[in-house]
Amino acid sequence: METDPAEKASLVSSRRRFLGTGALVGTVGLLSACTTPPGGATSNGGGGASGGGAEGSDDYTAAIKKLVAGRELQVGFTPPVLSEYYTQMENAAFTRMAQLEDLYGVKWKWEKSSPTGNFNAVEQQISTVQSWTSREFDIVFICTGANFATMQGVYKKAMDSGTKIFQFNQPVELYPIDDVNTVSNIGYDNRWQSGYVAGKFIADTLKGQGKIIQIMGPAGSDWTKARLVGFNQAMSENPGLEVVGSADGGYLRDKGLSAAQDLLTRNADVNAIYGENEDMALGASQAVDAAGLKQWDGNQGVVIIGADGLLSGMDAIRNGKLTASVDVNSVDNAIKMIDTAFQSIVLKNYVPKVSNITTHLVTKDNVDAYASYINGVMSPAKKY
Amino acid sequence: MPTSSTHSSAGLRIQSILSKPGSGIVVMLVLFVIVMAVVSPAFVTFGNWQNIANQGVFVLLLALGMTVVLIARGIDLSVGSVMGLSAGVSAYLITQGLIFPLALLAGIACGIFCGLLNALMITKLGLPDFVATLAMLGVARGVLFLWTAGTPFTRYMTPAYSLVGGQTQIAGFVSIPIIISIAACIALSLLLRRSVLGRYLYAVGGNPDAARLSGIPVNRIKTYAYLISGGCAGLAGVILAGRATNVAPTMGTGYEILAITAAIIGGAALTGGQGRMIGAVLGALTITLITNAMNIAGISSEWQQLVTGVILLIAVLLDRLTTYFKHRQRSTEIAAAVSVDPTAKPVQHVMS
Repeated sequence: METDPAEKASLVSSRRRFLGTGALVGTVGLLSACTTPPGGATSNGGGGASGGGAEGSDDYTAAIKKLVAGRELQVGFTPPVLSEYYTQMENAAFTRMAQLEDLYGVKWKWEKSSPTGNFNAVEQQISTVQSWTSREFDIVFICTGANFATMQGVYKKAMDSGTKIFQFNQPVELYPIDDVNTVSNIGYDNRWQSGYVAGKFIADTLKGQGKIIQIMGPAGSDWTKARLVGFNQAMSENPGLEVVGSADGGYLRDKGLSAAQDLLTRNADVNAIYGENEDMALGASQAVDAAGLKQWDGNQGVVIIGADGLLSGMDAIRNGKLTASVDVNSVDNAIKMIDTAFQSIVLKNYVPKVSNITTHLVTKDNVDAYASYINGVMSPAKKY
Repeated sequence: MPTSSTHSSAGLRIQSILSKPGSGIVVMLVLFVIVMAVVSPAFVTFGNWQNIANQGVFVLLLALGMTVVLIARGIDLSVGSVMGLSAGVSAYLITQGLIFPLALLAGIACGIFCGLLNALMITKLGLPDFVATLAMLGVARGVLFLWTAGTPFTRYMTPAYSLVGGQTQIAGFVSIPIIISIAACIALSLLLRRSVLGRYLYAVGGNPDAARLSGIPVNRIKTYAYLISGGCAGLAGVILAGRATNVAPTMGTGYEILAITAAIIGGAALTGGQGRMIGAVLGALTITLITNAMNIAGISSEWQQLVTGVILLIAVLLDRLTTYFKHRQRSTEIAAAVSVDPTAKPVQHVMS
């Protein structure tokens, strides 16, 4: 399932060029996806630079600029919580927006609102979407921990009023796609591009034998449900692996630490810990140190893997405090999100209902490449 | 064969034990520990109790402050957010090169300052306690969100902070957070039981109008209560930053509910005038113990919420049973006194 790290590094390098050389190539990539009928097929893979024809030509740029006609887009961005992951996303979005503005003259007005509680504090997000709808926003980018059915009603009202909804980083794979009332859903398949990757990494590292504990997100979280599907699949393919304990770490480091301490009390002979996100995995890493256990050194110790792709997590991988992490690609998520909205709203293209970006398995061997990729967007040319 | 008089004296002894404040919770905790020892021997290991103590100090510190506020007939909904903000202040100042002890003191001072703002909103602007502290909850959280811009503070950890955060044990068995919590508990207990301020807090909470008529400076006493609560939140935040090794903008979210729950389990009342520090300890212990035990017992997180709710309900009901036995004990004492000396006056109620 995973490609060679060198191949991935090359992929990263080419993506950096994609960002570094401006939006043109990317825009051709996004324009290449325009023939998918609305509500239609699922697209896998990032936008990429697969377009042909007039890419890079001045005529093409001028033609697109003419279509844009200096239009200003009022955008609302509402993640489920303010966190490092969504900050990375926001910076990547700004980078991309500035590129499109520079090339095609599209203008952006950006508002951000996030619940000030935890992932379950969703009422505030519903109000936010309703407020943005009444203020006639063009675009709402949303990722929410709210109940699926509740949000579809909110989305439908917004879409009927002319405010177009785009979900990002949302586990839509759990629901029939025809029931999702959005223009498009940009993210990745949590089952096979996150949970399964983590499970398979543990299996490969431990050669299919060992005891595992899981530190998961809050009960009922869609991310948890989806990632567990993939993780459990990897476990079923490796009957020598046994999950000996699981606890709720609430997506927080201190709760992850406490949960891991509790589980290690009963399972001191554990071989691997799966943290459903990086913060919980880092908490588990502290618990391993506190319990006097050895972290994985390439031959022995406790394997710890998380998921997110945070710069702080990558620091931990460099320092040997995290064995690996599934980077769910905050940067491409944001770029694809902006591109899809630009295509759909400004160019009136038909965009895929689901667009999945690539995810990466980050280890000590390739961490520099992926960290550089994120750092490349952390100082956008313009903030909105 | 036991006689009715032995039955009666055993019954009186049980009644006497159960009438002691907090005894219901103690009984429940003892039973809980026995059951858990059978379910998983790992639960009763020294290492696990170290974990429980280290995990519980945050709820405990907040519950101590919350109990003081509840005694004074207030409520502090801002403690979780203030804890997060205080953690942010200490972490940020360390990254800016401020010497470690001053950075910690600044974090605690931030908590006290938030407590002062709460008190001013309540006593000077006349806002209800609930509203004022709810506003502070939002303000403190908002400041931390804006300040961090969504990205956690990191790279502030030092060996000294690891010690303060409880990651390093002293002599291999006790951590600084545990020592601080014990010290805070003793200090506040002495304040409540032995000082004029303590008596005034109960008086203000029990009947604010009567307290005012008696010449007690009600507003000043409430201000002290919120300063103590803010200070406890600041202290908890400073320690939590050392344990978590990063300060996320969501740090401390939901802790206010845990603190209120612990204080209420421990016998404090929303109606004021009641509460003890040992009760806060028992309440915090109950909450931490339940989570720890369920993780060890392998109860899935879906079931954990239900089980936690049921156990907390049992804990509170047992505490109410204690109150019932206390009243029965008093009735028995009064009846006994009257039967010995029909002219005897009723037993005076003592402040709990």
